[in-house]
Amino acid sequence: MTSVLKGNFQAAKSVEAKDKPEADDLDSRFEREAMKKLGGSIAYVAKKKIKWAEDENP
Amino acid sequence: MAKLLFINPVVREEDVPRHVPYGIALLAAIAIDKGHLVQVYDANAWRLGEETLREVLKADAWQVIALGGITTAYGSIKETVRIARQECPDAVIMLGGGVLTSLPHEIMNWLPEVDVGCVGEGFITFPEMLAMVDAESRDWHRIAGTISRNAQGKPVLSPQRTLLEDLDTLPYPAWDLFPREEVYFKNSQMLYSPEGMLAQRRLDINVSYGCSMICRYCYHLGIAGDMRYETSESGEVSVSFDRPGAYTRTIRYHSPEYIVRMVRHMRDKYAIDYVLFLDENLMTMDQHSKRLWMKDICRLWHESGLAPIPSYDAAGIMNGWEGVHWSGTSHATLCTKEILKTMRAAGCSHLVYGYESFAPHVLKTVGKGSTPATNERSFFWTLEAGIRPVPNVIIGFPDEDFQSIRDNMAAFDRLGIQVRPHFATAYPGSEWFTLHRDSLEAQYGGNLESYILDLGDATKITGIICKKFNAVELIGLRELMCEGNYRLLDVFESAWKRVHQERPLV
Ligand code: B12
Repeated sequence: MTSVLKGNFQAAKSVEAKDKPEADDLDSRFEREAMKKLGGSIAYVAKKKIKWAEDENP
Repeated sequence: MAKLLFINPVVREEDVPRHVPYGIALLAAIAIDKGHLVQVYDANAWRLGEETLREVLKADAWQVIALGGITTAYGSIKETVRIARQECPDAVIMLGGGVLTSLPHEIMNWLPEVDVGCVGEGFITFPEMLAMVDAESRDWHRIAGTISRNAQGKPVLSPQRTLLEDLDTLPYPAWDLFPREEVYFKNSQMLYSPEGMLAQRRLDINVSYGCSMICRYCYHLGIAGDMRYETSESGEVSVSFDRPGAYTRTIRYHSPEYIVRMVRHMRDKYAIDYVLFLDENLMTMDQHSKRLWMKDICRLWHESGLAPIPSYDAAGIMNGWEGVHWSGTSHATLCTKEILKTMRAAGCSHLVYGYESFAPHVLKTVGKGSTPATNERSFFWTLEAGIRPVPNVIIGFPDEDFQSIRDNMAAFDRLGIQVRPHFATAYPGSEWFTLHRDSLEAQYGGNLESYILDLGDATKITGIICKKFNAVELIGLRELMCEGNYRLLDVFESAWKRVHQERPLV
């Protein structure tokens, strides 16, 4: 078990990170993985599709 | 010697926790240096809910409970301080960060559990607040940069805190107090570049403050010279941020030596392989330093043995590296071809660009000084340098129209990019918020707190500021934009025009 409190002294009581019960079935694993790809702005560049000629005076 | 519990509230719950909160980590290091007893409960990293939070609050006789975060952490902060007050009736509850700074009076009124707030930068204010706890005094108004309640219970600001001049006097953030192995390193990946995808042990750094731009949607947390204190005719003091004709900035940055020494330390102590620069705009600093800053960082990156050397699998595909790859933010009009190449050679793998739009008439209203051509130029310069550009785009600008949507779709085709635009959102502290506050409040039945609680990622729509399109239309238009669906856009435009001929927009 891991302590969720981290500090420069020993707190009076320790608090452990309890495992969340639903953690490891296939559905929740899938949902976690899918979730990792979401959030924020999603943008990527398909490098192979592009051509560009520089215009010297934008 | 105060016994202090830091709580990092939950933010962006829809994604896994990816970032050690840099501000809190720095303030924890400062508190330790001053001899205080410090524990951190990183609720955002652990995400263990109310039961564990209550256990943490009962784990010691906390004298101080300190929280901070960005505006979108408000919901979690509200819940946390409510529970903290129940469990620790005698503790001093302190709040700081962007969430408080943009709306200090409102937040103090909405959160009666908070005793004192730190408005803007905490580097000097926070240790002074802790010293006051040690002195068993509660005269918060004597400390510049705070907000606290007067005898009548009304929140009042103390004088404005000046910004720290020499950033290199700061200690390194207290990364030891955060669950690196348990949580953060597992979420090191940044799906913006192949190197980012392969990152195994990433930490973030923030090595500059400020941005030379005056983008209408942006907020700089009151730590970039963007905040002013203003006194009304009735003598009440309030904070003020960008508004037409009043823009202020203070540009500050760590020296290249400090930065690279810190990264070397992170490499030696935590075996990191990737660093994300959280800085708002690395190119502002480069320009401000007459093009020396970035170049020196890159030179020292090589000299300190941090420039990555790739390793390959049997098929010749890169599977890792020795050294530290990195990424950050750039700016279309401020980057140069040369610096991009230098950055790549030192291990830069991707750069985020807030392109916002590829429509000239919209860009003119943004305050960024960029044009569709400078956007495209920087995009290709970056690619040519071997760095992946991450092109951010926004939909729902005040002047968004069918033309701007088509301009964007055409640019996505030309550039070969897949983008899911953010919705234009007026976060408190931005010029947009100042200008549209009444309308935003009205959209939430006159309740500003509901608006704040609704704010998130801007991938979801909240309050809108667009003159032509309503929220439902913007949601649909974004889908068409992402799909490149010109046909349906034409169909919708004729229907839209028919409706608005009958009922013109005011
Ligand atoms: C890391 C980061 C995030 C992290 C979260 C960080 C966290 N754990 O809180 C993530 C990736 C989740 C994030 C998301 C978003 N972010 Co963000 N983010 C940042 C970033 C890059 C760095 C923050 C940072 O560490 N700054 C440096 C440290 C030193 O500053 P600080 O934390 O504010 O701490 C100082 C003071 O505020 C104060 N302080 C802070 N806490 C406390 C506590 C106490 C007790 C005291 C006394 C003082 C104090 O003292 C510190 C030292 O001076 C900033 C840009 C930047 N460079 O600042 C944007 C920034 C904060 N984000 C911003 C925005 C707009 C967003 C998004 C809305 C963007 C989007 N559309 O997706 C989302 C929201 C997502 C969501 N669903 O909630 C805005 C402002 C937001 C706001 N209104 O608060 C910023 C300023 C960027 C910008 N200019 O637009 N972000």
